[in-house]
Amino acid sequence: MTAPGRTAGTGGEPVAAGGAGKVMTAAEVAATLESGMTVGVGGWGSRRKPMALVEAVCRSPVTDLTVISYGGPDVGLLCAYGKVRRVVAPFVTLDSIPLEPHFRAARQNGVIEFTEYDEGMFMFGLYAAAHNLPFLPTPAGLGSDVMAVNPGLATVRSPYGGQEVVAMPPLGMDVALVHMNRADRRGNGQYLGPDPYLDDLFVKAAGRAYVSCERVVDVLDEGPPQTLLISRMHVDGVVEAPGGAGFTDCAPDYGRDEAAQRAYATAAADPEAWAAYRKTIDEGAER
Amino acid sequence: MARVVPLADAVAELVRDGDSVALEGFTHLIPFAAGHEIIRQGRRDLTLIRMTPDLVYDQLIGMGCARKLVFSWGGNPGVGSLHRFRDAVQNSWPRPLEIEEHSHAGMVNRYVAGASGLPFAVLRGYAGTGLAEHTETVKPITCPFTGEELTAVPALNPDVSIVHAQRADRRGNVQLWGITGVQKEAVLAARRSLVTVEEVVDELDDRRGAIVLPSWAISLVSHAPRGSHPSYSLGYTVRDNDFYVAWDAISRDRDAFTAWMREHVL
Repeated sequence: MTAPGRTAGTGGEPVAAGGAGKVMTAAEVAATLESGMTVGVGGWGSRRKPMALVEAVCRSPVTDLTVISYGGPDVGLLCAYGKVRRVVAPFVTLDSIPLEPHFRAARQNGVIEFTEYDEGMFMFGLYAAAHNLPFLPTPAGLGSDVMAVNPGLATVRSPYGGQEVVAMPPLGMDVALVHMNRADRRGNGQYLGPDPYLDDLFVKAAGRAYVSCERVVDVLDEGPPQTLLISRMHVDGVVEAPGGAGFTDCAPDYGRDEAAQRAYATAAADPEAWAAYRKTIDEGAER
Repeated sequence: MARVVPLADAVAELVRDGDSVALEGFTHLIPFAAGHEIIRQGRRDLTLIRMTPDLVYDQLIGMGCARKLVFSWGGNPGVGSLHRFRDAVQNSWPRPLEIEEHSHAGMVNRYVAGASGLPFAVLRGYAGTGLAEHTETVKPITCPFTGEELTAVPALNPDVSIVHAQRADRRGNVQLWGITGVQKEAVLAARRSLVTVEEVVDELDDRRGAIVLPSWAISLVSHAPRGSHPSYSLGYTVRDNDFYVAWDAISRDRDAFTAWMREHVL
């Protein structure tokens, strides 16, 4: 249920200072989702994950999602809430805790489907979707079992010399959720940390994209031009969510809250502890 | 790691007769000084590659350095035809010139594929044009998932890529800014590479919007101040628009062209 074409038509209108622009709440973002949709989540592992948006999705009634992610606690939390039908990922990890406990449990219990790609193949899949191409060639994946566990994958031969390469299908998505350090009300997003990850490709690959951020500002002038990662033309909504990536890393605004991450992972191992942990998210206010 | 050497030594070491050579830089940072050194050293049978061959390729072609041109648009920007290029194609003067014509998007994709170690690139370009009928390096490819027919263009891996930049440090790290083209891709795709620079400095400072080509990706760096004239190097020189206009008259006539090259380049 992917929507390759962009239908939003509110990309470029100037927003008067003080106007609302595309600003909305996390709950309003979650309310735009429908069961069965494909949702891409930006960030990487336990880094700059749009956790405030993900928690809002957890509180919403949607189910049966396909989640596309360089996976971290976003994937784990959605699995724990039973929102997921399929995960498409090259890994699901908490970085300092190698295995995401809820994702691991969901896989071991056989309650989710899983499509696994190599990180590089995954990137080419995002590029293919962003460029509206039905496939892109990549040498990544050849000679590995990634081909065996993805019987739907194919190879193509170069029309110039015949070299065989993997044909990576597009990782298109209905909705992308990403978290930036800063954004403006028009939907331009800025990262200030060491790595953009692939968030620009996620918003280009998506039918609709929502950006949460640490702070909505009038002028994105805290970093050089190359930090202006997300263009408003790809963005449908902006959510101001201070701390909205926590407990994952959101450098330079804050690092990963390792104690909070340990508490999350520890709680996952015990149903009673998890019920208590989950209550904080169920009752969690917008953040 | 790149070594910093005089321009004449760099061209002598890197550019050989019969090589495929890409001189890149889009309007801005066009490596004229290096092109002129190739002419002075009398290189022959080159396959010249460039997205927008303009005056520097008109000069190389007119001086008989090229056997073939791989390109996506040729002209004197804002002025008109390249008369030496036209004379070579139409009248084989001073020698025949084979051409391989692509679209801009196709050329960029070819450099990116070359830089990425991929044998070819896939794009939706060329559909509805006659280029595939005339260009052997434009071929259809069928999507194995949808059956859709797309275009595949082969990777470009020039023997030598040459670009001009504002600055390098003494270890050969190169910094360029302003309007960039495919300099990064052209250098990374090439077997050997030369970067000419306006200035060699002890330390590269932070500069908004600048890109850095690391020393380990470059073969040689040469100091060539004003080396992009009549194009420009942002922060150092301005574009000599009058020269582009003047070139039209200089290049229309074989003798006038040859006399000008003798006086100003050889």
